[in-house]
Amino acid sequence: MRQLLGGKVRTAAAAIAEFAWHGATIGMGGQNINRCPMALTHELIRQGIGGLTVLGCNLSLPLDQLAAAGLVTRTEQGSGNLERYGVLFTWRRAVERGEITVRDYSHLAMASRFLAATLGLPFLPVRSLLGTDLGRDLQRSGDVSATTDPWTGQPVLLVRACAPDLALVHASLADADGNVIIEGVSSHEVDMVTASKAAIVSAEKVLPSGAFAEHPEQVTISGAHVDAVVEQPFGAYPTSVYRHYDFDEPAIERYQSLARSGIGLAAYLRDSVTTHPDFTAELAGLRTRCAELEASMLELT
Amino acid sequence: MTTIQAPVTPRELLVFEGARQIGADERIIAGTGLPLLAALLAQRTTAPGLKLIIESGVVFPEVVPTPISVVDPRIMHSPSRLGSLLEVLGGFVQRGLVTTGFLGGAQIDARANLNSSWIRRGAEWVRLPGSGGANDIGSHCAKVVVLTTHEKRRFPQHCDYVTTPGFLDGPGGRERAGLGPLSVRVITDLCVFSGDETTGELELTALMPGVEVEDVLENTGFRPRIAAHPRAVTEPEEPELRLLREELDPRAKYFPERRTP
Repeated sequence: MRQLLGGKVRTAAAAIAEFAWHGATIGMGGQNINRCPMALTHELIRQGIGGLTVLGCNLSLPLDQLAAAGLVTRTEQGSGNLERYGVLFTWRRAVERGEITVRDYSHLAMASRFLAATLGLPFLPVRSLLGTDLGRDLQRSGDVSATTDPWTGQPVLLVRACAPDLALVHASLADADGNVIIEGVSSHEVDMVTASKAAIVSAEKVLPSGAFAEHPEQVTISGAHVDAVVEQPFGAYPTSVYRHYDFDEPAIERYQSLARSGIGLAAYLRDSVTTHPDFTAELAGLRTRCAELEASMLELT
Repeated sequence: MTTIQAPVTPRELLVFEGARQIGADERIIAGTGLPLLAALLAQRTTAPGLKLIIESGVVFPEVVPTPISVVDPRIMHSPSRLGSLLEVLGGFVQRGLVTTGFLGGAQIDARANLNSSWIRRGAEWVRLPGSGGANDIGSHCAKVVVLTTHEKRRFPQHCDYVTTPGFLDGPGGRERAGLGPLSVRVITDLCVFSGDETTGELELTALMPGVEVEDVLENTGFRPRIAAHPRAVTEPEEPELRLLREELDPRAKYFPERRTP
């Protein structure tokens, strides 16, 4: 039974220890260079929680780092890339070697799977994927089912509901009851969180219970669907949080150049993640850079 | 940075010809890069009523220079709404409210099908990013525009893997699969290919300045239909060139060839 009110504030370490486990299916928040739940996924790496299936629309930096740490066995996604900065190189290598199994969907098909679970439905029809190898592969593996609209006879594909064991999202604001405000686009995250069996949300700031009581219509995700909240300033670094800070392009390029070759990735994870006790310690040397990223976002919003 | 006097580069010309494919009052879905610049150019010149929509959830933004991602704060500027992926790809694209989609891909074949999933290299398969919203856009938009560099390996007879539907197996292919009709423009640094449901394949309909039909054939992995009189793509006037260089991408984020070392 979810706890509906109060007492949801945790450290990232405590929240991950409580709600994640070896072999869990993880609904991954963020998209490309925006609002990736870096503080929460770094905690998965610190605690070495593996055998994970990672589910999402665009899977980005968090997935690649989890794959680099050897924690991922399967992904179901719309895409695995960082746009201009390239494909997810570690994920790609692991997929090509057969170390990670993939199920490829379109973004809308994945979003429809989350929506189905959110609505308590076993499946939803989509009119995407039709006629392509993408749709054929999913039919062959039994993940989608071809049928027709009973009223018009038009072809549709049924995609199965997707309810992750645990959703990980980084947001702008939360309160102690788990109510969440996301500024900027919300990508696939609202339906993914409401579809999930448990959810941890980290936020730039966590306010006391009742902080949003005067404007509850501004709450993006109700605390009814959130099990733990973690206050973590710059918790999406080096990706951006709209109205808070810009993404750190050189840091993303540095990671991608390591991931491309695969050489030095283990040292990178050790020096920038596992050697530190928590995410705040990881950021200790980056105060000047973080201030620059705040100033850059301020100019834009 | 090059001055406004420098001649238009082949990649810039892609953007100008891309902008010319957009009619007045269209609703356009585009990622970032050259397609977004083409849409913004059209919006600032021939199609002031054009509305942009971005897969991450951005509805009708006024873009500031120069976004590099569909979630870049520069693409979330002054929109009607910042919503969700489901709203955009479901509520606009699958719902049929978007007229033209801009797409890319590692391969585009004679039937205008696109591949962004897997490439065969000998006995090996090389993994690419996957569909993202591309399959949704190619399935539901009535017009698709592709801007790409022209390399033989990018234009095979058949894609190694079909991620996004063009005309599928030819005339009637989309209808048999349950999809609506499509028209396609593929703009490269050599030419323009066009296609619609009547032939279900790409036809060479225009040539970039200084390019001959033979140049296109040598660099294309299939034998395209050739229009009786391929049109010559015209170069932009100075005001348009100035708009692209000074206002839409002033730091030449997408034109490394224009950056001074």
